[in-house]
Order: sequence, then structure tokens, then C-alpha cells
Amino acid sequence: MKNNLRERRETMGLSQADLAEAVGVTRQTINSIERGRYDPSLELAFKLAGYFDCLIEDMFTPAED
Amino acid sequence: MTETTTNGDWIAKRKRYRRLMFGLLLAGVVGFVAATNLDRPIVGVALYWLGIAGYVAVWKGTSVTLFDERDCALERRSSVATLTLSAAALITFAPAEVVLSEMKIYTAPPVFEGVLYTVSAQGLLFGVFYLWLRIKQ
Repeated sequence: MKNNLRERRETMGLSQADLAEAVGVTRQTINSIERGRYDPSLELAFKLAGYFDCLIEDMFTPAED
Repeated sequence: MTETTTNGDWIAKRKRYRRLMFGLLLAGVVGFVAATNLDRPIVGVALYWLGIAGYVAVWKGTSVTLFDERDCALERRSSVATLTLSAAALITFAPAEVVLSEMKIYTAPPVFEGVLYTVSAQGLLFGVFYLWLRIKQ
């Protein structure tokens, strides 16, 4: 899964730790999502989308095979 | 009650609590081994349970989220890898041991049989939990 989480986070001037605390996960989890190594659960995806006030599909897109 | 902390505090607390939990667990196990080797098995068991109790106390006693969904995902993947490896070893070595023993080429020590039974029991337990969860879902 591709995502633009890093761009959105940096636009808001947030650190990974700030975002992690806001959505209740570890900084490592945010880092893994940004690097495309971990796909978040639907629950976390909703939390992230809610935090950035966007739709999940605006943030996450399926990776092309 | 949710603690109000700065971000740095929050991250530091998570790290500190996790280190404390695993430190207590390790201390309990090391204490058990050391005391047992010093002919104090009861003291060893007491230290072991103190370590376990400390781990659970920190885990349940703090309002800080110590494990998140990625930790769960990592545990799940590790469990699957462990079970897959165990199953492959069981499938390979169990019949090999029978054949080698029947042909009087090699007789495995009794502990090997114990390991095979343990791995089999683990696989059976996995199957039971899998079925139970499948029915629940």
C-alpha cells in the first residue's frame, strides 16, 4: 500500500512522535507506515484520516503489482 | 485515567516501562537459574514468580499504551513462522527417526521423542484454537 502520510505530517510540521501520540501508536509504527513496510488496520487508517481531515483513499492507495 | 504528558515524556515512559517489564522478567528467570544452581530451588521459584508478577503489574498498572497493533502483527507473523518451522521439522524428522531406528542405523535419544511429542501437541493446540476462533467469527 502506498501512502502520502509523510507529506501530510511534514506539511503540518509534526514529528513522527507527535503523530504517534495523537493516534495512540508507537513512533516506530508511524515510521513503518510511511516507509510502506506496514499496512495499518482499518481502525488506525480511519484515525489517521480523521486526524488529517481527509478520506482514507486520499491517503492510501493500493500498490501497483 | 489518562495521564497528561508531553510527547517526549510519553515516548520515554513507553520505553522505560517496556524495559522495566522485560528487565523484571529476565531478572526472575536469571534469579531462578542462579538460585537453583545454588541449591535454593524454592528461593528460585519465588524469584521467578516475583519477576512474572512484576511484569504483569507494570503491564496492567500503567495507563501508557505499551504495545500497539504493529506489535500484535509482528507477534502474529513470528508465531506463524515458528509454527511453520516446527511443522517442517516435525514432518521431516518424525518419519526419518522411525526409518533410521527400524533399519538400526541410528537411534535417537529419548529426549528427541519428547521434543517431537511437544511439537505435535503444540500443533494440535494451534488447530484447536484456530477452529474455535473460526467458529467464533
